Amino acid sequence: MIERRVTVTNRLGLHARAAALLVRTANTYKSALRLERTDGTASADAKSILSVLMLAASRGTELLATAEGVDETEAISAVCGLFAEGFGEGERVDKA
Amino acid sequence: MTRRRRIEGQETRWRGLGVSEGIVVGRVLRVFNGARQVYRATLDEKDVEREVRRLRAAVRLARMQLLAIKARAEKELGAEHAYIFDAHLLMLEDRKFLQDVGRHIREDRVNAEWAVKVAADRLLAIYAEVKDDYLRARGSDIEDVTQRLIVALSGERHSYKKLSEDAVIVSEDLLPSAAAELDFEHARAIATDSGGWTSHTAIIARGLGIPAIVGLRDLHRHARTGDRIIVDSQQDVVILHPSDSTLEHYKSLEKRTPRTNYTAAEDGDKPLRTLDGKEIVLRANVELPAEYEDVRRFGARGIGLYRSEFLFSHKRGMPTEDEQCEAYIEVAEVAGDEGATVRLFDLGGEKMVAFGAELERNPTLGLRAIRFSLTHEEVLRTQARAILRAAARGRLDIVLPMISDVMDVRRARRIINEERVRLESEGREVGGVRIGAMIEVPSAVMTADKIARDVDFFSLGTNDLVQYLLAVDRSNEGVADWFRSLHPSVLQSIYRTIDAARKAFIPAVICGEMASTPAYAVVLLGLGATDFSMTPSSIPRVRRTIENVKFAEAQEIARECLECETADDVEELVRERFTEKWRELFPPKSLPAPRVGG
Repeated sequence: MIERRVTVTNRLGLHARAAALLVRTANTYKSALRLERTDGTASADAKSILSVLMLAASRGTELLATAEGVDETEAISAVCGLFAEGFGEGERVDKA
Repeated sequence: MTRRRRIEGQETRWRGLGVSEGIVVGRVLRVFNGARQVYRATLDEKDVEREVRRLRAAVRLARMQLLAIKARAEKELGAEHAYIFDAHLLMLEDRKFLQDVGRHIREDRVNAEWAVKVAADRLLAIYAEVKDDYLRARGSDIEDVTQRLIVALSGERHSYKKLSEDAVIVSEDLLPSAAAELDFEHARAIATDSGGWTSHTAIIARGLGIPAIVGLRDLHRHARTGDRIIVDSQQDVVILHPSDSTLEHYKSLEKRTPRTNYTAAEDGDKPLRTLDGKEIVLRANVELPAEYEDVRRFGARGIGLYRSEFLFSHKRGMPTEDEQCEAYIEVAEVAGDEGATVRLFDLGGEKMVAFGAELERNPTLGLRAIRFSLTHEEVLRTQARAILRAAARGRLDIVLPMISDVMDVRRARRIINEERVRLESEGREVGGVRIGAMIEVPSAVMTADKIARDVDFFSLGTNDLVQYLLAVDRSNEGVADWFRSLHPSVLQSIYRTIDAARKAFIPAVICGEMASTPAYAVVLLGLGATDFSMTPSSIPRVRRTIENVKFAEAQEIARECLECETADDVEELVRERFTEKWRELFPPKSLPAPRVGG
């Protein structure tokens, strides 16, 4: 099992769009993927969008990501990558 | 109950929050959420499995509907807005949710509708507790999906008939998929009881350029389909059953508010001049196909900025040469004789990670726009070929985004020329394109006179210019006070760039949102700008302003602005001078607000 800490950095938090991206990504891996608030108040199955939304992770929330399975290394780095890039929201700034 | 309170024909006013600008006089079309009463039925043991199968069939039906809605939204609103339906699809197929529903059916032996409702209500109750406003608002997504599922269980589907010419959508809360299913061509305005600035209704209305007001308490219970209604998002008000005098007042306003006035296009045929005869050109900024109609409707002189990166989608990735070529031909057709300027992909950073790009610490200052295209040459080559081929079929120009200095221009030009030669040797037809530079990076401003010798025109991207010049991320609310479009350094930069273009005898087009605010447009005019490109719906407003001012007077004010020390000083000067000279044109609300305590 691999664990890694991630922080929600995108402005809108883990809202529907970002969560969709996360869940779609998580579902491409065999490993079980979970996200847990580091304050211990909630945890979620990263492959279920309703579960992820329920984390109510707004900007700045710290989460613990865990992966367990045959492709856990790839899975965790893909998921952490999404958090690191703020779910692609930074692109809003590039309108002329 | 409500009928008793409603007096026929009595004018009533409803205050709300205007989330998309404009004024519309029309007739109510009530749209129901489809929130239907769900009853509980107890099943016989033997019917339980059949009920589970019925649920699965309904999920499949709802899934097909959502896929269709998503495809349509992608086409009409662009991939960015269609994303939400991806979330809906995931919710619909959420294993945990479906297991929950299935368990209710089996264990409690209830009908599928009831099981869906119970599972959904439990989710919604948890959601209602969320402290974050934005996330709490997303409860509507869950509601939307479960409603769709319940409707699908009955074998029906939501349907919206063809709308009448002047339909104003009135609804309790327009769920996202309902909003996307609307007949975009005919919906003239939207008024909803709930919702906020970030609601999908707001986002979609802004995308379509139709006025929308949300937060109208219980308007939808008092309005009947066919009732006369006025939506005025400038005053944040909806008027139901307007009296004759109110109606008259608004009709005269409507005449002057070209958003709803189709004669704007006719005005567009005659050249726009200031009071003292200076000719001014107003073009359109365009990204979504849904905006194409507006180009003509609002009388734009062609397309001054086509943001080509909207062709790119996360799912399908980079568009092929043929796909691009087809899109550019369409853009050229929309633009007509005046032509369209295609801005090369402004891609980079996070967007491209999925395609193997490195994660960057600071994407705004990273490998994006022309830097990205020069690094991934095949992207630039494909796009150049597509544009050159399309240019054989209509008038197209190319503008290079985020140019830092003349080297960027030369490298891009060389590649574009190589592709031109290659296309010609392949016997393909290519058209002539002019190549311009976006001036939006301070280093390009400083060397604008050098760059001017190597390009055919300049486009000033004011949004990015302000951001880079003042080193302020405009999406970061913490530094919002430092984002000042009227900062003297911004004005100096614009003046300097226009001056460099003038001396090199090349045109300079001002793109970016700054020009769509009439007061700012006049300042830009004073700095020497005569060619603007903006959101199509802003054109009539800016046109009206420009034809009522003198170029010489704008110049005088701009000269004073250039002497100011701070953004506050510039704004104060603008407030004073504009009120002195053009009180009628610039009501206080249209001018930069005084800083509190400043």
